[in-house]
Amino acid sequence: MTFNYIAAFFFIVLGFYCMITRHNLFKIVIGMSVVDYGTNLLIVSIGATNGGTAPIYTPGEIHPGTVFVDPIPMALTLTSIVIGACITAMALSLVIKLYERYGTLDTREIRRLHG
Amino acid sequence: MSVLTILGKVLIFPGLLFTLLAALWLAGLDRKLVARMQRRVGPPLLQPWYDYLKCCGKETIIPRKANRTVFLAAPALGLASIFVTAMLIPVGGVSIFSGSADLVVILYLLTFASVMLIIGSAASGSPFAGVGLSREMVAMISYELPFVLVMLAVGRAAGDGFCLAGVTFSLADLCAWQSANGPMIFRWSLLPAAIAMLFIIPCEVGQQPFDIDEAETEICEGVLAEYSGRPLGQFKMMHVIKMYVMSSLFCAMFLHIETGFLLADVVIHLVLCTLVCFVSMSLPHAITARFKVEQIFRFYWTTVTALAAVSLILVWCGV
Amino acid sequence: MENLPILAIMTLFMGAFLNSLLGRRSRKVGNTVVFIAMALALGMMLALIRPVFFEGRTICYWMGGWAPDAGWAYGIGLEVDALSLFFGLIVTIAVMVSGVYSFTYMARDDSQVNFYTLFLMLSGAVLGLVLSGDLFNVYVMVEIMTFSAVALTAFRNDYDGALEGAFKYLVVGSIGSTSLLVGTILVYANLHTLNMAQIAQLAPSHMNATMVTAFAFLFVGFATKAFLFPFQPLAADAHAVAPASISLMISGVLTKCGVYGIIRLTYDLFQNISESTVSYLVTGFGMVTMFICVTMAFNQHNFKRLLAFHSISQVGYVITAVGLGTPLGLSAGLYHAINHTLFKGLLFLVAGAVQHETGSLDLDDLGGLSKNMPRTTALFLIGAASISGLPPFNGFASKWMIYQALFEKAGSTGNFFYILACVVALLTSVLTLASFIKVTQSVFFGQRRAKYADVKECPAAMRLPMWILAIFCVVLGLFPEQFGNWFLRPAAGAALNAEAYAAQMLGGSTAAAGAAEYTLIGAWQPIVWLLLLVLVCCAMTIVAVSGRRSEPEPLAEPDVEDEQVLPENAKYEPFFSGEESHYSQVGGSDLFWGFKENLKKYFSFWHDWHSGIVNDYALYGVLCLAAVLCYCAVFL
Repeated sequence: MTFNYIAAFFFIVLGFYCMITRHNLFKIVIGMSVVDYGTNLLIVSIGATNGGTAPIYTPGEIHPGTVFVDPIPMALTLTSIVIGACITAMALSLVIKLYERYGTLDTREIRRLHG
Repeated sequence: MSVLTILGKVLIFPGLLFTLLAALWLAGLDRKLVARMQRRVGPPLLQPWYDYLKCCGKETIIPRKANRTVFLAAPALGLASIFVTAMLIPVGGVSIFSGSADLVVILYLLTFASVMLIIGSAASGSPFAGVGLSREMVAMISYELPFVLVMLAVGRAAGDGFCLAGVTFSLADLCAWQSANGPMIFRWSLLPAAIAMLFIIPCEVGQQPFDIDEAETEICEGVLAEYSGRPLGQFKMMHVIKMYVMSSLFCAMFLHIETGFLLADVVIHLVLCTLVCFVSMSLPHAITARFKVEQIFRFYWTTVTALAAVSLILVWCGV
Repeated sequence: MENLPILAIMTLFMGAFLNSLLGRRSRKVGNTVVFIAMALALGMMLALIRPVFFEGRTICYWMGGWAPDAGWAYGIGLEVDALSLFFGLIVTIAVMVSGVYSFTYMARDDSQVNFYTLFLMLSGAVLGLVLSGDLFNVYVMVEIMTFSAVALTAFRNDYDGALEGAFKYLVVGSIGSTSLLVGTILVYANLHTLNMAQIAQLAPSHMNATMVTAFAFLFVGFATKAFLFPFQPLAADAHAVAPASISLMISGVLTKCGVYGIIRLTYDLFQNISESTVSYLVTGFGMVTMFICVTMAFNQHNFKRLLAFHSISQVGYVITAVGLGTPLGLSAGLYHAINHTLFKGLLFLVAGAVQHETGSLDLDDLGGLSKNMPRTTALFLIGAASISGLPPFNGFASKWMIYQALFEKAGSTGNFFYILACVVALLTSVLTLASFIKVTQSVFFGQRRAKYADVKECPAAMRLPMWILAIFCVVLGLFPEQFGNWFLRPAAGAALNAEAYAAQMLGGSTAAAGAAEYTLIGAWQPIVWLLLLVLVCCAMTIVAVSGRRSEPEPLAEPDVEDEQVLPENAKYEPFFSGEESHYSQVGGSDLFWGFKENLKKYFSFWHDWHSGIVNDYALYGVLCLAAVLCYCAVFL
């Protein structure tokens, strides 16, 4: 379990690192996605229980001592994945438009707004 | 308090008439003194008043590029706000309104008067006015920081243990404190603040070594370049009354002395105002040349601010 | 009554869908749908005023009827207490104004149907955020809000920099969103609930390392949404390129969500604002933000970008006041928050009007427009006086409350930090004034280029929303005591009374939150201002009379404002000859030379800091997150 948390924060930090150091617009978008995955992993890990079953009532499967995993984080993860996908789509469409307009994908050249 | 008393206070003492007379006295004396120090004869004592009358008699020319309404309204508004400022300052313990935060209101009203000067000159559309207003604004930024610090220092000195918040911005409280404990200026930790305030006065008024916004020789009277006739007279009058207001404010903040007799108090107030005016305005006017814009800014944000900050810290530490 | 909050939110979202269904054919139908949706939402918020503010009730609504059982919340709830409704009102009023303005302002653009769909989604998301009683829903609403705000920023994507601004907003905004989500989930991990009332009940007694981390993450998340210090470049870029009505939404509404979040977080959820370390954190953020942003505004050449920096600077005021944790401080913060929406909205709409008529926002290029657009100029002056805190406008009243809150806090704690904050606040006020003088001079007064000679006044349909905002500016400035009694005290009281917040939602008790108690010391002496008014009237009469007596202008000569291509330095010629009628405006960036020259290093440092490279902004964001985490880990 601890490993999950470490991995989650590792992905978040990795994504941030990618956003900070990469100058290619696509790589920045990838960084954002990696942050999202890290967050999703964190959410799922929080709800997970070792040996837990799915939080769905299935006849015959339930007996005393059965442990459910927490269903709420799963729902949250789903929402978060959907939002992440939207944001990625939005970012990619902006990247396409930016490339059409500026003719480059390098962030160091896309800085007409500064100062 | 009946309506008649209020009206009397507003119109005669310590309101409009008294303010006007005191201001004319200070301004005339200032010109006379400066002239004497420069080995000139100088104008008669009532020269500022004659100037005003003469301006009012002249034709008002409105430049083609000007925005007429703002150009004409700004001087009137500026003059009005400076008169209101004068009414907030107690003279010999008598003030028309004793609010509990006069100092901040005064700060804002003084700013308002300066802003009217700026807006009016901006509305005139002249490039000289453009340069002038930018300088006036820089001067304003320069003195406002130390001014605020001085106010906080004085407010803390009088308010510590005296009022609930621990800081007071009420001139009435300040005067009451000074009546009980002697003038503020004799408290040594406030001496730097008083010196800073003496520097702030001429800059706020726009008196000679700090009159970068007018600077006749460089930018043809800058902010006033396009003004003539009655509006010009109003701005000149505003300048004159500002001299009195600032000196009077200094007296109320640092040098309030109460004897119990109104007449004596008023005379003492006037004498002290004259003294402050002489020290802070006439003397530098006579002996120094005009500063440059960036010099003023540097001077106020280093030396004067440091003086005021020292006072504030000392007072805050309870010295 | 209980259904009104959810109905208000759904009306806006439904409006968005109906608009894209019906508005494709005819813009008239679409606009009607948009208008009805906005008006209904506003009406519902207004209908809630009576029970919430005057009767002290809290409106709770449980989605699907999942009411709490034995003091434990299962469902998703909406909780509208006075604080939520206060922000709800800000939101709906701003939406209404912005929408009505857009009808004319955006009339020349294509694909307006998408614009209004996104616009209504943005409005619905923001309203949902402030009314929500569920932390995860707050996150979802923040994401919808960011998403539609980004799309709207890039809406005029042929406008130079629009895409760039939107992309930066998206990337750096995602840092904030992520930290919000991480914070939310850490809270859940600890308390096993997402309901805000439940969290408010449990959090103070369950503080541990995880909760402190969660607090830091949530704080940075909301700080991003309020565009506090290291995030202000986003706001500047987004405001400058977005359509003016969207600039109003970003500055007036989106930043308010951040403010609302910070208030909820520190006063209700964690209830740790009374700890001095948290107070330092929040006030410190506010102080730094307001000072740096106001000085950045000095460097700007673009009208709306300048306004953007001022906008963030004023949010800094709000946060500074909120960070004090006193009833007066919170009330002052709330008061300034609504005033900020009003005057900032007004100024952005004025900028939009200028852009609409002249097609330019360049401060060095415009000038002398007061002759062409006198009414817009008057509106601008009202807005500028309000934001600079000149009496008798609303900015003065709320700034005065902030100063009072600051020095009372300083006096009662004897802490020099708050005195410093007070000095910074007063100085910022002067600098704000200075930079609005710059705008006044370089857009509305001064001299006019020949190409702007035919500029017309903006249409009345655009002026109407501006007048509404301007009237609010004056009214709120004139009656601070009444406004305080009716709205500020209940709203601040609701935020300060976390027990009531929790109990009302979970059905424990029905005790009203009560109003916050504070006394204003009288900066506000109506008689002084009355006198001033009388004097001014007298003076104006004198002016009018004197003006009529001498009617000299103009000197029969025709207007010769010819702007030739002048040789280098030709603009100085009038200074030497005094005769030529050249165009000789002192450009916006040349004003305040003396000030900028002395602080050259400071200004160039911040100029370089706002490098425009998205990686740098992401770096600042992550560093800020790291710094807040460290601060919280060490001090909490």
